[in-house]
Amino acid sequence: MKDLLLANPDYVTLLLHGLGVTARLFAISWVLAMVLASLLMAVRSAARPWAQRWVWLFVEYHRNVPGLVQIFVWYFGVPQLLPKVMQQWVNRHDGEFVLSCIALTLYAAAYMSEDLRSGLRSLPRGQAEAARSLGMNYRQSLLYILLPQALRASLPPLVNQTLALFKATSLAMTVGVADLMHATRQIENETYRTFEIFLVASACYLAISWLIMGAGAYASRRFSAARH
Amino acid sequence: MTSMLEFTNVHKSFGATKVINDITAEVKVGEVVVVCGPSGSGKSTLIRTVNRLEAIDSGTIRVNGNDVHAPGTDLNRLRTGIGFVFQQFNLFPHLSAMDNVMLAPMQVRGTSKSEARAMAQELLARVGLAEKAEHFPGELSGGQQQRVAIARTLAMQPPLILFDEPTSALDPEMVGEVLAVMKDLAQQGMTMVCVTHEMGFAREVADTVWFLDAGRVLERATPTAFFNTPQHPRAQKFVADIRG
Amino acid sequence: MLDILRDYGLILLIGQYPQGPLGGLAMTLILAAAALLLSFPLAVLVGIARTSPYRWVAWAAAAYANSIRGLPLLLLVFWAYFAVPMLTGGGVSATAMMLVALVVYESAYLGEIVRAGIAALPRGQQEAARTLGLGYGATLRKVILPQALYNMIPSMLNQFVVVVKNTSLAYVIGVDELTNAAYQVNGQLLTRPFEVYALLAITYFIVCFSLSRGVEQVERRITAARRSRPA
Repeated sequence: MKDLLLANPDYVTLLLHGLGVTARLFAISWVLAMVLASLLMAVRSAARPWAQRWVWLFVEYHRNVPGLVQIFVWYFGVPQLLPKVMQQWVNRHDGEFVLSCIALTLYAAAYMSEDLRSGLRSLPRGQAEAARSLGMNYRQSLLYILLPQALRASLPPLVNQTLALFKATSLAMTVGVADLMHATRQIENETYRTFEIFLVASACYLAISWLIMGAGAYASRRFSAARH
Repeated sequence: MTSMLEFTNVHKSFGATKVINDITAEVKVGEVVVVCGPSGSGKSTLIRTVNRLEAIDSGTIRVNGNDVHAPGTDLNRLRTGIGFVFQQFNLFPHLSAMDNVMLAPMQVRGTSKSEARAMAQELLARVGLAEKAEHFPGELSGGQQQRVAIARTLAMQPPLILFDEPTSALDPEMVGEVLAVMKDLAQQGMTMVCVTHEMGFAREVADTVWFLDAGRVLERATPTAFFNTPQHPRAQKFVADIRG
Repeated sequence: MLDILRDYGLILLIGQYPQGPLGGLAMTLILAAAALLLSFPLAVLVGIARTSPYRWVAWAAAAYANSIRGLPLLLLVFWAYFAVPMLTGGGVSATAMMLVALVVYESAYLGEIVRAGIAALPRGQQEAARTLGLGYGATLRKVILPQALYNMIPSMLNQFVVVVKNTSLAYVIGVDELTNAAYQVNGQLLTRPFEVYALLAITYFIVCFSLSRGVEQVERRITAARRSRPA
């Protein structure tokens, strides 16, 4: 038993620290992405055509460029554009984490806004008509009738996106973020016990992935739009 | 008696098809009007123009003296005074029956939750669904859903209610329960305009029958007169056809 | 940016060829196509297994698919990097390792598409086939799969676009594809990272966007064909 990697407290600490970074990266990106996605959906559904076109471009860019490349653009590319002062500030304050977070947020928000939008479009027209016939204005019908149902309708794809975002956080290791994947590689480099450490990392990722899938299934059942 | 609803030279086309062709008509306070006619005659479109779910090309529509289609009209405020019951019920599936009825008074009129709840309970009892208050639309039959929809409309206490083929989407055995509720409303003095195929209801409850064909009101008569001695040839054909 | 394109465009397109193996965008597309083609038979097996009437078969396939889908592709790439040489006794190129990782990854996702396609067919199809006396295997081969796979062509083509994006991870194990080519170009220029990586992003954008539009055309043709075919 002494031989087990996990028995070594140093490595356990390293793994837990990595897990913490992964969790933070995921949580912050997810919250920001949901907020941004809702805003994008609102713009896409109701604003002027030129604003809608910008949102379309935003979505198409993030859907057609690999996540890894998006992170590279933010981490390697964007700092070149910033004034020296900001570059130094970013470097001193966890630059790789912040820039990866930004990249992942925008990446997830693009997909999520599309999911929300198709959820909104799937609602029968009679719902909006009924709300307006009762005298509700646009904001009230959106807030109380359309948006709650759109969220419920978009639940399955949103859960998938959440899962995808969680797995995408692993890409941040390529720019030096000390997340779970980074810790795994580090331990592997030091101990050469590749099979063991990869197994542990796989177990961690699987556990959380299954948690997300399970939470999604639960939410789907509870808030399903088709309450029959 | 004063006018509740007035159509004056109303025209409407969908593209090249003329759907409402110069209609001038009046509904008095407390009057129950049944609008009937062959399909495609423009009946549904006509009542949907009353609360501006459809626009009109020319003419005026006045509800309680207010011009519905004037650019400056406060449409939301106007709609609180016009009830609308849809063929497809259009209940909000994510809210219970009680919540469906309470929502508009609370959000639009600012009614307090307790007041709204009390009113909703009373209205649901009135349509015979007191015990279904906490149920969701998905758990109710078509007839029950339509009755909740009527209660939801009544919650805003409109002086005029429009019915767009309220029983056409129901299985035959549920039609009666909805018509019974509508009959009650009529007897309590509600001003109603109903597009419907239910001729029994028309005979029993309506004050006037409007016969619509190809966007025109071809005949206007009391139910007895209309069903026994229709004047216009097309009306005669219609009455003969529905008689079977 | 245009001068970078002019000076290094060829490297981004085909890598070090002919002074070395094929690389750049060409390698990206070859890798993606190979991964999709090789994973297809595996995916069909997984899809059939998941809709199998034998419960343990369906359960095993579901466990396999859900496990692959729960892991980041990056981890699968590292697994392949470590496991493939062990299984084959060494001497495997990084490209082959990447191919293994992509094939395993796609077998789960493509398998899910096949499963959905089979499940979406009206039950009457299978019932009709069985009442005519066709066995399980024949029903699958002659009735279910032809229809399911045809209906799923747009989804499968969409997966090709996904795989093209996934090949970018090959950079991590040193495969000479598009992202790696850009990395090398940046290593030479050093002072213009934004332009290099923006160019990289734009290249992927053009490729994937065009592919997606092409898929949409195919989808339209298939939906039209489905509608005109009698049930």
